[in-house]
Amino acid sequence: MDTPCTSVMILPMPADGRVDEHPDWVHAAPARRHVIRPLGVPLVLHEWGDPTAPALVLVHGFLDHGRGFETIAPRLAEKFRVISYDARGHGESGWCDGYAWPIDVAELIEVLRWTGGPACLVGHSRGGGMATDAAILAPELVRKLVNVDGFGPPPEGFGPAGRKPDERSSAEKFTDYLDQRRGDSGETSWRAYQSIDALVSRRQSQNPRLHGSWLEHFVRIGTRETEAGFVWRADPLLTRGFGPWRPEWFGRQWPYLKVPMLAVIGSEQDTWGPLPESVIGPRLDRVPHLERACINGAGHFVHMEKPEAFVDLLHSWFDS
Amino acid sequence: MNVTAKRTRITLHHGRTNLGLHRRKEAAGPNLLLLHELYASSDMWRTGVDAWQGSVWALDFSGHGDSAWREGGTYFPETLAADADAALGELGSACVAGAGIGAYAGLLLAGGRPKQVQATLLLPGTGIDGGGAEPPLDPAKGDLARLATANRTSTDPSSAACDPRVVMADADARPADYARSFALRAEAIFLAEDGKARPPWWEEVRLADGATTTTTDLPVALAALHAATLRE
Repeated sequence: MDTPCTSVMILPMPADGRVDEHPDWVHAAPARRHVIRPLGVPLVLHEWGDPTAPALVLVHGFLDHGRGFETIAPRLAEKFRVISYDARGHGESGWCDGYAWPIDVAELIEVLRWTGGPACLVGHSRGGGMATDAAILAPELVRKLVNVDGFGPPPEGFGPAGRKPDERSSAEKFTDYLDQRRGDSGETSWRAYQSIDALVSRRQSQNPRLHGSWLEHFVRIGTRETEAGFVWRADPLLTRGFGPWRPEWFGRQWPYLKVPMLAVIGSEQDTWGPLPESVIGPRLDRVPHLERACINGAGHFVHMEKPEAFVDLLHSWFDS
Repeated sequence: MNVTAKRTRITLHHGRTNLGLHRRKEAAGPNLLLLHELYASSDMWRTGVDAWQGSVWALDFSGHGDSAWREGGTYFPETLAADADAALGELGSACVAGAGIGAYAGLLLAGGRPKQVQATLLLPGTGIDGGGAEPPLDPAKGDLARLATANRTSTDPSSAACDPRVVMADADARPADYARSFALRAEAIFLAEDGKARPPWWEEVRLADGATTTTTDLPVALAALHAATLRE
């Protein structure tokens, strides 16, 4: 079993195992809301703190939304102008006819440009990978980078645990994609739940360490009510896509990262990782200016599960 | 043979994007579906296709001609192949001839719909190369850098011949083994050769069983394509 937390912890951080019970800064809604269209698609931005303070940009993960950072934004706003946003197809931002990694990264670069940069940049999960690529492409817009458990897919690809790998050829799989596209009227939807509580229960089973009242708030923002019931707000087309991408291509360009990166994982296993050190280690070895940290007691959603410890870590990293 | 000169435009719906499919000719025989090169439109097929013994249809890919620009600007060869699949769904079955990006999209369609695509002609043209067999190591040479340039260009549909963001469709990696899987599953594939160097994906398709080389002379190549449908 890998033990990354004991072997790679570099920065001091609280590790008292304390659960964050209703800290008074939890659930603090953004102070300001903006809608910008840097690449034509309306993006909703959330902002906390002094507009003249140095910018800190937060990038959420796949199918999440920008207000998932309400757990950490208020305390970060003591020093920073904090900005998160709903990526295209997520939260309240606009939907597209298809999505693609390079366009998401290009859009993040435009958000950084909008802040006036250079900004401190923090990305979680898929947002961490996006933030890393944005920092490679636009180093003049990024002061320092934090990637929270956004170190790419497992070598076998994402999918339910225990699922047999799909051995079919690319062409055979492409038939499935074409069948899906023929059926996609653009109104494709998620499974509908009859109540917010049912959605919260579903999410709780995936994120057992998330605090109940916070989880309900997070889910309420992330859903919308349709005639069929409550559905997740993100565009179902986000899960569609087809191409020759291979896991070994992940992070190919990371040796070109000029900005210092802090790579963060939680100590606990859950639905979404972290990946074994045997996978993460070689990927991170490509990063020229790297420090690593582990938040004890947190799973994949470090910023929601251990917000105090995570904010302490961020302040320490950005002050150093 | 029932031949009419009437030209008809059909609006297709692919996902959230409307596409124009143009009938160039109506006649008995197998359908011919034409896929244009990058930055072009169905207008590129003005000559050389009249002798086809069947109906002739020319598609405008999304972001091109009189088809809509894709909301969000996601243009990949697989996306364009799915555009073509919307046309194939309308026609039922067809022979396919594609140039440049249309050749690569035609290969993907032929491998993804082997029962509906009777034979495929791959012609050279703009967008044939793609971004190489794998992504570049240097980010300055990658798709993101090209996309950044495209996004800074005008995005006013009224003042541009095509969506500048379609450049993405020619920046993707096209691994040889990926192309081979489509070639192996496809029905008859014809590669129009003129002695010039071709990208790795094309070279791989040429080696596949069932692939035949032909000329870039369009009427001659189309005659070979048509003959393949008679052998079945």
